[in-house]
Amino acid sequence: MRKTFSRRDLIKIAGGTVAAAAGASLLPRYLGKGWLSPLATNSAGAQEIAPDLYFAATDGWIGLPPSPALPPYHPDDLAPAPFTTYIFGFRNVTGLTVDQVRYQKMRAQHSAPLFWADEGATLRLQLTNLGLQMRPDLVDAHTLHWHGFRHVIPFFDGEPMGSVSVPIDRNFTYVFRPRDPGTYMYHCHVEDIEHVHMGMTGMVFVRPAQNGQGFYQSGRYAYNDGDGSTGYDREFSMLLTEVWSEAHWDDSHIQLPEWTDYRVDFGLINGRAYPDTLAPSGSVDPFNPVRDANGDLIPTPGYEHLQYQPISSLVTCNEGERVLLRFANLGFTEGAMTTAGLKMRIVGRDATLMRGITDVDTSYLTNTISLGAGESADAIFTAPAYRGGSNGQPYDTYLLYNRATTHGSNAGTAGYGGQMTEIRVYPTGTLPVQTVPNT
Amino acid sequence: MPTSMLKWVRWGLALVLVLALLTAASATDVQRATAQAVPTDGIVCTTNANNTFTLTTSTGYIGMSDDNTVFMWGYALSGQPFQHPSPVLCVNQGATVTVILQNTLAEDVSIIFPGQENVLANGAPAVPQFDGGGNLTSLTNVAPANGGTVTYSFVANRPGTFIYQSGTDSERQVRMGLFGALLVRPTRDDPTNNVRYAYADGDNAYKASTEFMIMMSEVDPMLNQAVERGQSFDMTLYQPRYWLVNGRGYPDTIAPNYAPWLPSQPYGALARINPYDPNPELPNNGGPNPAYNPLPAMVRYLNVGSIDFPFHPHGNNGRVVGRDGFPLLDAAGGDTSFEKFSVNVGPGQTWDVTFFWQDNEDYDPDTNPVPITIPNLQNMVFGMFFSGSPYLGNQGTKPVGDTGMTQCGEYYIIAHNHALFQLDSWGVPMTGPATFTRVDPPVPNACPQ
Repeated sequence: MRKTFSRRDLIKIAGGTVAAAAGASLLPRYLGKGWLSPLATNSAGAQEIAPDLYFAATDGWIGLPPSPALPPYHPDDLAPAPFTTYIFGFRNVTGLTVDQVRYQKMRAQHSAPLFWADEGATLRLQLTNLGLQMRPDLVDAHTLHWHGFRHVIPFFDGEPMGSVSVPIDRNFTYVFRPRDPGTYMYHCHVEDIEHVHMGMTGMVFVRPAQNGQGFYQSGRYAYNDGDGSTGYDREFSMLLTEVWSEAHWDDSHIQLPEWTDYRVDFGLINGRAYPDTLAPSGSVDPFNPVRDANGDLIPTPGYEHLQYQPISSLVTCNEGERVLLRFANLGFTEGAMTTAGLKMRIVGRDATLMRGITDVDTSYLTNTISLGAGESADAIFTAPAYRGGSNGQPYDTYLLYNRATTHGSNAGTAGYGGQMTEIRVYPTGTLPVQTVPNT
Repeated sequence: MPTSMLKWVRWGLALVLVLALLTAASATDVQRATAQAVPTDGIVCTTNANNTFTLTTSTGYIGMSDDNTVFMWGYALSGQPFQHPSPVLCVNQGATVTVILQNTLAEDVSIIFPGQENVLANGAPAVPQFDGGGNLTSLTNVAPANGGTVTYSFVANRPGTFIYQSGTDSERQVRMGLFGALLVRPTRDDPTNNVRYAYADGDNAYKASTEFMIMMSEVDPMLNQAVERGQSFDMTLYQPRYWLVNGRGYPDTIAPNYAPWLPSQPYGALARINPYDPNPELPNNGGPNPAYNPLPAMVRYLNVGSIDFPFHPHGNNGRVVGRDGFPLLDAAGGDTSFEKFSVNVGPGQTWDVTFFWQDNEDYDPDTNPVPITIPNLQNMVFGMFFSGSPYLGNQGTKPVGDTGMTQCGEYYIIAHNHALFQLDSWGVPMTGPATFTRVDPPVPNACPQ
C-alpha cells in the first residue's frame, strides 16, 4: 500500500483499491497459462468470441514542451529522454502476442486510442491491466467507462462502485451495442480524479446507420439527419485534456496532490501541446494498428518525444469540403474552442443531433463552442475557397484554439502553446479521400 | 476505529434505515414539523396553506465528507432549527407568496427571488438599496441587523425551479449558506394519477413520485471560519475546498432525507426509479402489466455556486425540458428540449431535466445471458453497490467479506460532477458532489418498499 491504512484508504474502498490489493497482491501473480491470453476460455472450455478490440491499461511517459520548466515538477526528473511527464493510459494491444502485450507495460499513450462502432453493431472491447511500473505500490484496478452511453447496465459501465473493475493481470470484456450515433469519450473510472487526470482518456464515435446513403456526396454523416445536413468529407477528433504538472510529478514520486489546489499548466488537444499538435499522426486506426516487432508504437522521425502521443490535431482539407470537428472535454475546466476566420455549425451536442423531438432545427452557427467538463460537440465547417496559400506554404492557414487563454500557452508563459492547432485548406483535389480520422 | 470509518458505519446505517423506513415514495408536501413522515428520497417540499413562510436567519454546523464540520448560516423555518440548505419552498402557479424574513444576525440580511417579477417588500416594490452617498448597499430591501424584519410578497406566475438567496453582501452571505430552492408547480398537475408537469406548456410530464433535486454549491471553510470568529476575510483568497449536492458531500448524499446523523443537512440526493416500460398490457392478452412505467423522472438542477458545474449522470441522457423557469419551446411552440449527458449548469441557473433508464438489452441469466464469459470471482474487483450479478433483479455471489450493499439485485448508477478535482473534500478524493440513481427491478420485485 502507498502508506498506512488511513481515512483515505477507507474512502478508496469505494474505488475498489483495497479489494484489488486483496485480490491481486495475495494471489499468485500468474494463474496458469491463461494469463493475459486475449482469448479467455469459459468454464466449459469453449473458446470465447474474439474481441474486436483489446486494450491494456498501464503507465508511461509523454513529451510536453520542456521549456518553460516548472521546477521541480516539470520536466519530471525521472523521465527518460526525450520525455517529460508521467502518465497513466491505455494502449491498443489488439492482435499482439502475450509477450508483446506484456512489453507494453510502461508504454501507455495519451490521449488513449481512438475507436468507433457502427450503430446497432456489437462491439466487444477487452481490457487488461498491466499494472504501473513506476508505482508497484499502487495496485489500482482499471475500467473502461464509455461516457454518455445511454441505458448501459452497470456491469458494462466501468463505474467501479456499482460494477466490477479489472485487477492487475486480469481481463474483462465490455460489450456495447450502441443505438445512438454521435461523439463520445471514454476513460477509466477507478480513482477517477487521478486516473482521468493522469491520462486514461480517449474518444469514441458511433457511426450512424444512415452512412452510405446519398444525401451528401461522401455518404458519411455525423447523425441520422435524413437530409444530409451532417454530411462531411473529413473528420477530426479534438479531445481536450489538461496537465497539472505537480499532480503528474506527485504520482511518479509517490506523493499525493491536494486536488482542491488544482490548476492547469498545460492544455492538450489529443494529448499534445501546441506546436506538437501539428505533428503528423502515428498509428490511429484501432482496427488496423501499425506497430514494431515488440508491439510498440513507432515514432515519426523527428518527433521521437511524441512516440506515445500518436494522435495529431492538424486539420487538413481541400477547399469546399465539409469538415467535422468532434470535440470532447475530459479536462476539469471549461474550454471555448474558437475557429478564427471560419464559421462552424454546431450540429450535435453530447451525442445528440441538434433537432428537437418535434423536428425543430436547433443547430446554429458560431465560431466559438464552449465545452464543460464531460461535454462533447459536433461542429461542421465548409472549407473556404483557396486564397493562394500564405507564409510560403501551398495552403491557407486558419487557427483553432481555446479562447480560455490560460489553456493557450504552455505553463502560463508568454507565447503560444497548449490547446491550439491549425486548419490548412488546400486547392481542390490536392488531398486524397480521408480514410482514417485525424489523418 | 478511525473517525472516517464512523462515516462508513453511519453510511451502513443509512441502508438499514432505507430498509426500515422505506415507504411508498409519493409526492411530498410536508411541513418540517412532520419530518418523520418524509420519504427517504426525493424532494421534500415545505408548503403552507396560505403560501406564507416565515424564515429566520440561523447559524449552525454541517458535516463534511472529511469529517470536518463547518459553520454556516441559513434561513430556517420559524421555530425550527438551522438547516442547510434552506427549506425547499413549494407553491402552485398563481399563488400569492409571502415570505417574512426575521433577521437575528448582526448585519443586514435580505432575500432576492431571481425569476420572480413585481416582488414587494413591506407592500411596496422591492428595490435596490443605496446609502446616502449613492453606493449600492443591497440588491433589495433588507431586514435590518439584530432583530429586523421585512416581508416580501409576489405572485408566482411562472412554473419552474427557482433559487432564493441573500441579496445583501451576496458574495459572502450566499456562500455562508443563505440560499434555498423555490418550486412553482403548474396548475396542470395531476397528482392523483402520480403525474406532474414541469411547466404549463410543453411535453414535460414526469412521475410525481420520482422528483429529485441536485442543488450544487461550494464552500471555502476559511471564509466560514473567519465569519464564525468575527474576522475579516480577503475575498481575493476565496478558494472552495468542498463541493456539495443538496448541502451534503458523498457518501452522505445517498443517505435518506432527514437522516438523524445529519441533523442539519436534511436533503438526500439518491434517486430511486424503476425501469421505463411503456406497455400497459402484458403480451398475449396477459392482462395489466405491473411493471408499466411510462413516465420519466425529474431532476431539478440548481447552481448556487460561483462557476459552472458540469454534472454527469451515467447511464442515460437527461432531456432538458426547461431552464430558469422557462420551458424549452420556440416562438411557435415547437419543442426545443435537448438531451445531455453532461448537464453544465451555470451560476444562478436552474435546469429541469427528465430522465429514465431503459433495459435496452434485456439481459437475462437464462434466456439472454451477457455475451461474455464472466470471470471468476477472484479475477474481478467488486464494487460495494454491485449485486454480484450483471442481471437486474439478481443477487449474485460476492467474494467472502464483501460489503454487499444491494438488497434485491438493484442497479446503482452514479451521477457526479465531472470537474473531477471538485470530487474531493479538502484532501479526501472520491467524495463531494456525487450521488447515485438506484434502479429497482421491474415491479413486482423483491425490493423492500
